[in-house]
Amino acid sequence: MINVQNLIKDFTLSKKQRKEMGDDYKDTKILRAVDGISFDCKPGRIFGLLGPNGAGKTTALRMIATMLKPTSGSISVCGFDSVTNGQDVRGKIGFMTGQTALYDRLTPTEMVKYIADLHGMDKTTFAKRKDHLFNILDMNSFADRRIARLSTGMKQKTSIARTIIHNPQVMVFDEPTSGLDVMTSRAIVNLIHSCREEGKTVIFSTHRMGEVNQVCDDIAIIYKGKLFFNNTLDQFKSEMTKSTFEEEFIYRVGEA
Amino acid sequence: MKFLIIAKKEIIDITRDKRTLIMMVAVPLLLMPVLIGTMMKITSSQAEKASERQLKVTFFGQEHAPDLYQAFSNIDKLIILDQISIDSVQSYIQSEYLDAAIQIDANYQSNIENNGQAQIQVQYKGTDSFGTAKDRINTVLDQFEKNIIIARMNRLKLKPDVVKAFNIQFNDVASKQEKFGKLAGGWLPYVFILFGFMGAMYPALDLGSGEKERGTLETILSSPASRLDVVVGKFLVIMFAAFLTALLALGGILFGIQQISEIPPALLDLINEMFTLKTIGLIMTLVLPVSAFFSALLLGLSIYARSFKEAQSIVAPLNIAIIFPAVIGTLPGIELNMLTAMIPILNVSLASKDIISGVINPLYMTEVYISLFGFAALSILWCVKAFNKESTIFRN
Repeated sequence: MINVQNLIKDFTLSKKQRKEMGDDYKDTKILRAVDGISFDCKPGRIFGLLGPNGAGKTTALRMIATMLKPTSGSISVCGFDSVTNGQDVRGKIGFMTGQTALYDRLTPTEMVKYIADLHGMDKTTFAKRKDHLFNILDMNSFADRRIARLSTGMKQKTSIARTIIHNPQVMVFDEPTSGLDVMTSRAIVNLIHSCREEGKTVIFSTHRMGEVNQVCDDIAIIYKGKLFFNNTLDQFKSEMTKSTFEEEFIYRVGEA
Repeated sequence: MKFLIIAKKEIIDITRDKRTLIMMVAVPLLLMPVLIGTMMKITSSQAEKASERQLKVTFFGQEHAPDLYQAFSNIDKLIILDQISIDSVQSYIQSEYLDAAIQIDANYQSNIENNGQAQIQVQYKGTDSFGTAKDRINTVLDQFEKNIIIARMNRLKLKPDVVKAFNIQFNDVASKQEKFGKLAGGWLPYVFILFGFMGAMYPALDLGSGEKERGTLETILSSPASRLDVVVGKFLVIMFAAFLTALLALGGILFGIQQISEIPPALLDLINEMFTLKTIGLIMTLVLPVSAFFSALLLGLSIYARSFKEAQSIVAPLNIAIIFPAVIGTLPGIELNMLTAMIPILNVSLASKDIISGVINPLYMTEVYISLFGFAALSILWCVKAFNKESTIFRN
């Protein structure tokens, strides 16, 4: 369960950053990346956070994962406050991005063991969970090969295994399929589905509308840091004035 | 205790990186003995060649000093070339066809006979690296002059004391170890400071900016490990790499010295006497805090950089900042005092020199340790602060 209330995140821009961002930002000293958003993600449901690049999706997810501290507002994950109980929050979540985020010089077994150790898993629980995951992901044939020598698909499987090795109650996916081929994207989408079936709380950010229709139960649309839709996917569909998701999304973003 | 899990993983990671292993183990262990050995061999073989070389000398005015001319003719490995015109001498010496030209004044004989000073001019090329031509000619002239003076004293019935009023005896209270330590001891810390820094550099770049570049930093930051765990785990591994590299560099030098046959046995015995386990242990107590200082500094800079490449460009100029105080420590006259004991790196260099010389001032040494541990603690705090700063961690 994730509960986000009036979340705000400001970044102070340096002169160099203002210059790099162009004329629109030349007088902006403080950039509000997330501007007072509130939403709930429920167990057994997939919550899609949609928005174009730079809308504030990653910043919001990083705050949920306690990597960034909110300027104001609150986030509660499984009853733990993200600021005061950051360590407990991190113990409950699995965080995955489009990058495989693996150590090339480790083997999949070592990589997964490392994350399990950080989550304080005991040897027996780890062995059982690892065997289970390596079997269902078909990873046994390359379990002890260095990650640098694995194919993209094998790396993605390893990345999935390291994200869910500690059986997290909450899964945070930050554009997990970005830059991946169809086959690898499908593996991720399957993972998201299985997380729902297991009753986990899933939050998933994307800018691909096709994926939203495929996986989401609830959606929120974020643009320039503000939420301007937060309801079920069915509700969104019923309110659609355009023929496709993409057109509707572009229309709504344009209206915002 | 999560920092230990992180440290364990980082150890596995860096020991599988060929670049780090080469820099951490192979270079200090092998490069130093090979460098020292090659340098000594080249120097001694060049010196030998120079002393064996046949000198080509020409004489002008030999008719005024036939006995001196004869003395030169009797010298081994020296040929006297005749029929060289006085106008060509300079160009011949410049082009190294000729090593030297000796010109005897026309009044040589009368000056010698009248107890006066005879004028002799020697032209040579000063860039001759071993100074062979000048030295060998001077040896002959010195000997010849001594004989003339003895003959003059006998003729005048004077004792040699007439021209030598003092019989001075210099008694040096400094031990051989102290003298050698002050002379050469400064170079040793220079080497291990440099290697310690180099040993820390690659792991620091890899564990900081490398982690950012691979996207693995988010994996760690979203785990239950605290930022302090992450910093301490990484810092310990980098410090271990720096310390090990410095230790191996020291070992490499000592091993290299043992292998060089050109070192006189007396000097080798002295070196072996100086480098006892106690001396090495004391030096290592200086290396440890300085490694901590480097490691935290490099990790902080590395995590600030957006990429591995940017980290390299930030860290590279730091090499000069490290070398500079280390080189100052090797200069004669720079000693450990209340001020220099406080300056990091320079104090390691000077304190090591004192340890090697066997002259340790407990007050200054305490100051050195306070300064080193103080700077190490400050750099660790700075590094932790950098890790906690969102604008640094997510700078890209």
